[in-house]
Amino acid sequence: MRWSMVLSLVLVAAMSVPRSARAGAPARATIQEVGEGLTCQCGCGLTVANCNHPSCGFAIPTRGEIAAMIEKGMSRAQILHAFRHKYGEKVLSAPTTEGFNLLAWVIPYVAVGSGMVLILIAVVRWRRPQREAGGTRPAVALAGEQVDAALKHRLEEDLRRQL
Amino acid sequence: MTLIGQTALALALILALYSIGANLFGLRSRRLDVLASARHALWAMAAMVALAAGALWSGLLRSDFSLEYVASYSSTTLPTLYKLTALWGGQQGSLLFWTLLLAIFTAIVAFQTRERNAEIAPYVLIVMAAVAVFFLGMLNFVTRPFDPMIPAPAEGADLNPLLQNYWMAIHPPSLYTGYVSATVPFAFACAALITGRLDDGWIRSTRRWALFSWFFLTLGNMFGARWAYEVLGWGGYWAWDPVENAAFMPWLVMTAYLHSVMVQERKDMLKVWNLALIGLAFALTLFGTFITRSGVISSVHSFTQSGLGPYFLSFLLAVVAGYTGLLLSRLRLLRSAAELESYLSREAAFLFNNLILVGIAFAVFWGTIFPVISEAVRGVKITVGPPFFNKVNGPLALALIFLMGVGPLIAWRRATRRNLVQSFTAPAAAGIVTGLFALAAGIHQWYVLSGFSLAAFVLGTIVVEFERGVAARGRMVHERPPRALVNLVAKNNRRYGGYIIHIGVVFAFVAIIGSSFFKTEVKRSVREGQSFEVGPYKLVYLGLSSLDTVHLENVSARLNVMRDGKTVEVLEPAKLLYKRQQQPATRVAIRSTLGSDLYIVLAGVDDKSGLVTFDVFLTPLVSWLWLGGVTMALGTVVTMWPNAREREAIAAAARRRVSALERELASEVRGA
Repeated sequence: MRWSMVLSLVLVAAMSVPRSARAGAPARATIQEVGEGLTCQCGCGLTVANCNHPSCGFAIPTRGEIAAMIEKGMSRAQILHAFRHKYGEKVLSAPTTEGFNLLAWVIPYVAVGSGMVLILIAVVRWRRPQREAGGTRPAVALAGEQVDAALKHRLEEDLRRQL
Repeated sequence: MTLIGQTALALALILALYSIGANLFGLRSRRLDVLASARHALWAMAAMVALAAGALWSGLLRSDFSLEYVASYSSTTLPTLYKLTALWGGQQGSLLFWTLLLAIFTAIVAFQTRERNAEIAPYVLIVMAAVAVFFLGMLNFVTRPFDPMIPAPAEGADLNPLLQNYWMAIHPPSLYTGYVSATVPFAFACAALITGRLDDGWIRSTRRWALFSWFFLTLGNMFGARWAYEVLGWGGYWAWDPVENAAFMPWLVMTAYLHSVMVQERKDMLKVWNLALIGLAFALTLFGTFITRSGVISSVHSFTQSGLGPYFLSFLLAVVAGYTGLLLSRLRLLRSAAELESYLSREAAFLFNNLILVGIAFAVFWGTIFPVISEAVRGVKITVGPPFFNKVNGPLALALIFLMGVGPLIAWRRATRRNLVQSFTAPAAAGIVTGLFALAAGIHQWYVLSGFSLAAFVLGTIVVEFERGVAARGRMVHERPPRALVNLVAKNNRRYGGYIIHIGVVFAFVAIIGSSFFKTEVKRSVREGQSFEVGPYKLVYLGLSSLDTVHLENVSARLNVMRDGKTVEVLEPAKLLYKRQQQPATRVAIRSTLGSDLYIVLAGVDDKSGLVTFDVFLTPLVSWLWLGGVTMALGTVVTMWPNAREREAIAAAARRRVSALERELASEVRGA
């Protein structure tokens, strides 16, 4: 079982590397990928890729501009940068990862990480009284075959009544 | 009608205030008759609010445009169903509907606590009446549903076309029911804090209310997602819009609460945490309303923006400050003999599950309010959209699914190596095999592989748990497997109902992965008789048809959907034009199978060239989202269903209370 787990992990790790990285050549961005990074300004609240207003005055021409930029060989980051320059930060569908905006990305993980630390501290504190009292009580799960036959019989009788 | 409605709302407010005063006086003077009067006042309040709601419904059904609300949100041509649902289509009506639900739940709690929870019942009712006073105050003084329209127009402005959909008929009531019923556990928590009765009595008394709230929040979110899927026409169901987020956050926190109360019931731990969670859930329901009403955060779902924001924000801050103060003042009484023997235990798994659930809720909250923070700090408007929420919550969701598999099978107190091997070998194998299959099928994204593997792992743990229970019944009471399975669930419905809910969550998780990573879109312009291919389907455009009614114009395109050379269905996506508002809308056509959804939008019709443009999405696994919702709802019903053992426990508790009262009475008689 253990070798198969290791093998699957290695395979998963290997395959999770983007195809482009393995191929050695950067893949061209698609209109969909770039459109996901831009917020439509028509008020629909969706991304440029998803806005479906039949005559949207923003998403439709923007998709055309994106297609032209991709044709010119611009990368996704370059296209998003160009739109940011043109419309301001509000056109991006997610905060940038620089300056004050970095807080948007970092704070949720800081919060979860802090929660994790608090739990670890709490558990250490909750375990201390038991250790000071001379170790842990015998756990139910430890009982296993150590229970004597009479106790096992009583347990089964109780369980049968409950069932 | 105006007079009836306004008078009823004014009386309801007076009755709610009277109930608070009578409860306070009754508690102080120990007068049972006054406490009973306070209870009766709440029933009368509910009757008055119902009368007001009935008056507005009557106005909507009769197209009484002398009422400003009816003139603004209805019309003579609006179908009757949507005249009824127009009650929650506008600002004042939706607040009235909210208040109606609150009044009904308050009346039910007043009825339930006639003989139960006598020590804390007056405080519970005071809190519920205080919440009602806020909403009734809004309806009486700030946003009045019965304001007249002078002169009355001959025709109304009609309901927003986006709301003229059957999912919108049930989505807001479900969500509101979930929001408002969260007030009940919150009121019990407040009462427990005020009286200092901080054992798990308040949790046991409100377990069903919490589940009821969670049930309707689940349904409300699902119905809303389905509405977005069918109405907005972009092929998706969730866009991390602020209003969607506002509905999702209380669901997450209530989910955390429903798990952590199990630890308190079992181990007498996490008392402060549980009280904090229920306070947070209630505060988030108010926050959701604040977002919808205030317009502070722009949302595609904010159909009814108004100047109510400051009132809701003030009430929200007062609730948070008051409740936090109450909680802090009782910290000394809330200390429990907490003990946790190992990180490898069910209680530890629940702790981490709570952390992740609340962590996701926080991430959603943070992303929702970050644009406001950014504008306040930098003066720069930014957007926080789907890419942010997907990236931040994606890894947390994986951790949550993993813990969902671990929690039910790991032992309480401390898991041994043997327990871990016995419980997790088969599910882990199922997860690995699924991952390898997915890999062999050409799936390379690490998230998808991990997600599918974890989903299989969780399903494996649930199968193991059911198999163990059935085998135990077979061994102990000699039942055959089908009967043993039925009895297992019937006699342990709380536990196995929970597992059914987990199955539903896994279905939804798989659907989200499949529909997010493998959706394909094809846009084609064709003439009559021409065809194009989307995945395994061939679509043949057969022509247009139109329908003109007094209410709307409907232009439908007929498409013959073929697969393997055979017609499987004829679909008719349409474009609608609502005449009153001259607002266009989309009616998508969907062919749903368990494998994928073929989702067709009629994107455009060019009369000159005869070209018709279709936007077609092929979205894998999306049906499993709705199936997951149904499974979660079914599991919740199973969990809530009363069983014989529980009835016996309640009867025994009642007998104990009667005995205690008899002893108390006897001692008082002796003393006299």
